[in-house]
Amino acid sequence: MRRVPLVATVLTTLLLLTGCGSDEPEVGTELPPESGRIELTFEGADAPPTERVSVELGEEVELVIKSEEAGELHVHTDPEQTLEYAAGTTTLTLTIDEPGVVDVERHEPEALVLQLEVG
Amino acid sequence: MRDAQPLAHGLGGPADLPIPPELAIAGAVAALVISFTVLALAWRTSRYDAATSGRLAPAGLARLVDSAAYGAALRVLGMLFLGWFVLAAVFGRDLLTNPAFGMFYVWWWVGLVPLSVLLGPVWKAISPVRTVNTLFARVSGSDPDRGLYTYPERLGYWPAAVGLFAFVWIELVYPFSTELGPVRLWAAAYLALMLLGGALFGSAFYEKADPFEVYSSLCAKLSVWGRRDGALVVRSPLANLDTVAPLPGLAAVVGVLFGSTAYDSFRDSLAWIRFTQESTVSTFLLNNLALLAFCAGVAVILAIGSAATGIDGGTRRSELPALFAHSVVPIIIGYIIAHYVNYLVEVGWDTLVLASDPLGNGSNWLGTGDLDRISWLSYRPTLLAWIKVAAVVIGHVVAVVAAHDRAVRVLPKQHQVTGQLPMLVAMVAFTVGGLYLLFAA
Repeated sequence: MRRVPLVATVLTTLLLLTGCGSDEPEVGTELPPESGRIELTFEGADAPPTERVSVELGEEVELVIKSEEAGELHVHTDPEQTLEYAAGTTTLTLTIDEPGVVDVERHEPEALVLQLEVG
Repeated sequence: MRDAQPLAHGLGGPADLPIPPELAIAGAVAALVISFTVLALAWRTSRYDAATSGRLAPAGLARLVDSAAYGAALRVLGMLFLGWFVLAAVFGRDLLTNPAFGMFYVWWWVGLVPLSVLLGPVWKAISPVRTVNTLFARVSGSDPDRGLYTYPERLGYWPAAVGLFAFVWIELVYPFSTELGPVRLWAAAYLALMLLGGALFGSAFYEKADPFEVYSSLCAKLSVWGRRDGALVVRSPLANLDTVAPLPGLAAVVGVLFGSTAYDSFRDSLAWIRFTQESTVSTFLLNNLALLAFCAGVAVILAIGSAATGIDGGTRRSELPALFAHSVVPIIIGYIIAHYVNYLVEVGWDTLVLASDPLGNGSNWLGTGDLDRISWLSYRPTLLAWIKVAAVVIGHVVAVVAAHDRAVRVLPKQHQVTGQLPMLVAMVAFTVGGLYLLFAA
């Protein structure tokens, strides 16, 4: 069981180092940027696989969180922003005014749930 | 000010935007074309010779640099940095606003690179462990250059490679890298081991076993400052690079430096994040394996690329990786600049702002506490992407020329052209792989 990730890692490394990885399919569904609305559904401790979403600089993004329990999201801008959501459906708004790739993390359980590509 | 929560997230805010694909491809094509142009057109007899290269530096400058007062001033500067770090790390608060983190991860690890490329072997000049070792020797009346034993030649740079790996491990893999305890422990272990090594083997130990001195002095080989028979000389960076000592373990040092920076890009890529999320194996274990695989992968590719050549009786194949490892240093530095330039400017500056309040009680001892953040480069992603690709391509050119000159010196005549090809392929793989990561991560 341990060998599989090791082999996968070595293969990935070699592929990347030789530049052969470039024909991999583009991962992460990008929502149309004009919609500015991203939905995340948490089921208990489970979060959907991380997506990378393009957003416009300074555009207001609507984050719709559906969760059975309340919790908080950490948006790794500088300075960091903390967004709290309640049990049920919560709509949060977020504006990022510095270009870059911003991680959005959920805490308890700690997980990267979203990357915002702001440009 | 950042939110006051210790998070296992590293320092700094948003990561850089990926570079545009067309720029990455242009850089890769440039690297390929340059490689074969150098191979086809460059000189056929070696041009660099450490015994004769370089012009003597202006007498006034050499007198200043070699003066006892100048050396002592730099040593005091190094001790002040250490003192400030210890003050913040021991008496400061365990928050991301503690400047100890930025001093440790940004000033020390990243800042040393441009300083050494511009000014020469900076860490050797300011290293607090050298200073303390010298002070101990002075107190006990012994010679700081001599220890109880002679440093074993066979060890070469291997202790430095291990030390560098320990640093990139705490920086990139260890989940609690931004808590004060682990940083303090790492720094304390470093100081203790370095002082022990200095006592056992004298200051020769630092040249080969201090990870930061090896790192800084390797970068300094791309500066114009060198020494010939002890005298300060000005050399072309290529001639200076040729003077790197091909000791055992050099390929491992190169592997850790390049592999870890590549891993730092790779671990932020969506493909890797998804892979670790979907795997049932612990992410921590996967990250450990990936860091190790990147470092080992670079060293192995370098070893194969340099040793896969025809040789004759005069050359030992096992020595070739260390003989060619210096030529990968420009690729590393180009890639480190590409990967860290914006981070160094932004977080390095933030650290200067935070350093004014090492205890976290709102004081402003240095007067830098009110300075504004610098985010100029973040708002110019196109310029930033061009800087990145230019740094990678320039690094590649210097690397290929350095490897070519070494090949025409050490390889037998009939294998000089074909024998270079595997190394050239390895270098193109490093450069294209680096560009791919800048584009994909």
